[in-house]
Amino acid sequence: MKRSGLTLSDLLTYAALALALVVFLSPVLWMLITAVKPPHEWLTTPPILIPSELHWANFTDALVTWGGAKGLEDSLIVASLSTLLSLLLGVPAAYALGRFNTGGENLSFTVLSILFMPPVAVAIPMYLFWSALRLLDSYTALILQYTVFNLPFIAWVLKSFFEDIPRGMEESALVNGATRWRAFWQIAVPLARPAVLAVAVLAFIFSWNEFFFALILTRANVTTLPFILPVLMEGHNILWGDIAALATLAALPVVILAFALQRYLVRGLSFGTVR
Amino acid sequence: MRGRTARREIAGAVRLLPAMTSASVSVPAVQPRRRGDTGRSFGWLMIAPCLAMLAANSIFPLIYAVTVAFESYQVLIPVPHRFIGLRNFERIFSDPLFWSSLGVTAWFIAGVVLLQFPVGFGLALLLNRLRRYQEMLATLLLIPTIISTSVAAFQWVQLFNYQFGPINYLLGLLHLPQPTWTADPALALPCLIFVDLWQWTPFMTLLMFAGLRSLPSSIIDAARVDGSTAWQVVWRIYLPLLRPVIGIALILRILMAFKLFDIIYVLTSGGPGTVTENLAFFTYVQGFRYFNMGYAAALSLLQLIAVAVLAKLLIRLTRRASAATAKE
Repeated sequence: MKRSGLTLSDLLTYAALALALVVFLSPVLWMLITAVKPPHEWLTTPPILIPSELHWANFTDALVTWGGAKGLEDSLIVASLSTLLSLLLGVPAAYALGRFNTGGENLSFTVLSILFMPPVAVAIPMYLFWSALRLLDSYTALILQYTVFNLPFIAWVLKSFFEDIPRGMEESALVNGATRWRAFWQIAVPLARPAVLAVAVLAFIFSWNEFFFALILTRANVTTLPFILPVLMEGHNILWGDIAALATLAALPVVILAFALQRYLVRGLSFGTVR
Repeated sequence: MRGRTARREIAGAVRLLPAMTSASVSVPAVQPRRRGDTGRSFGWLMIAPCLAMLAANSIFPLIYAVTVAFESYQVLIPVPHRFIGLRNFERIFSDPLFWSSLGVTAWFIAGVVLLQFPVGFGLALLLNRLRRYQEMLATLLLIPTIISTSVAAFQWVQLFNYQFGPINYLLGLLHLPQPTWTADPALALPCLIFVDLWQWTPFMTLLMFAGLRSLPSSIIDAARVDGSTAWQVVWRIYLPLLRPVIGIALILRILMAFKLFDIIYVLTSGGPGTVTENLAFFTYVQGFRYFNMGYAAALSLLQLIAVAVLAKLLIRLTRRASAATAKE
């Protein structure tokens, strides 16, 4: 059906979407504004919408004085190593589930339910577990703990991708004498590369953002950004600008990755159930 | 005459439902071809490291929950723990705080079903009308979903601020009362439900939008040409055709709402009093503040069972969608 020009319903659509953008993004915008406000404009009546100057010192304060640099470093270490380990274990597992239906429906179900385990319900035993291994407040515990939550996610989402890749190429490789490992590594994985990249980024985002286990399992040695932000927000003299700067630094990588990955967001975020 | 054709088209579209859903949600029902034992053992070999990792971290908590749940075990009382049968569970069901926390959990789930779904679906319909910038807009809207809850919480602490927050400033301009929001016992829970709505509605939108885009445009165009109103298209075509996607999205979000913890911890810490303590937070308080390990383990066990049931339902829905595919 061809329509010419703007109709009333088009205008209403634009207006409603504009309103939605305002509702969903104004809290984010307010954080960005606070992050560059000079201290005397943090708490004012009326609130100041446009800062009188761009006060970048908030960012250096956040990084140097409030442990932001250490936070960034720890978040980066934990998120990237956990992502790497999750891929190393998860991609072959997904291939097994998707290609050979290893363990049947029951195994797939078990793996998926681990993904949805309420963290609180496993927090105490996991605390005792890491404590018995003398690994509380260590990178190792946090990396392994996040891997446990990333693995089912990666296995489940990639399973559906591997199912969708036609098996013809792998089969002809096998007929021509390739090992199963080579069929996996040199044919299936390259074909699934965009999907692997997508789950890798989502696993990274999960580990980068995770708060609960950071709260339970760490104290002073390992301080990821989501862990230090709420600590800084306690008390009466909240340093709004500095915290806003730190929160911005915590949000930035995730937002950039999401935009870089637009095409795969749906399938990854829906755990592969919506294709 | 036109109306009748339209009805026939719609009826046809509904009958085509299984075919359509295959485009949006599918798990190929094609069984892997048997290649002797090699494929089987190779599969197990590939998945073994992953299973070992998961087993160490999930079987242990499960065993712990199952054993300690039937024990009297309080860290602060230096008495050896002992088996007390179902006493912890009896205590749970007679504990008013358990019931109120269950109520709070139910409110969050109600928020998902009654608010997030309709708003998310509506936004997806609007996005679907756009001719350009659809993906960019969807990703922009998704920012609240993908940032850390700690970051989101900071934004709302700022906005809800009683004295200097922009929300109360705007209310003041309109000479409306300026509440204390998360510190007000009557408003704290609605505030949290709203923040959850803000965080996760875009996620709903994204899933619904993906579903809408997978529908073939020919059916919708046919219905339009034949004079169905936009309202009819939504009710008679979109909703029935998207049923599998809607089901999956709702269960995913209900599973997440069920275990919701972070936003409560950072925004209200369960307060004022206990009005915003949901089941997950109540369990946390019992285990990590009062060290009632047996009681907390019993609560954990109940939640693990509930989640397993929900996850099973999710799988069944996904499989039903795939069964529809197989019939084609």
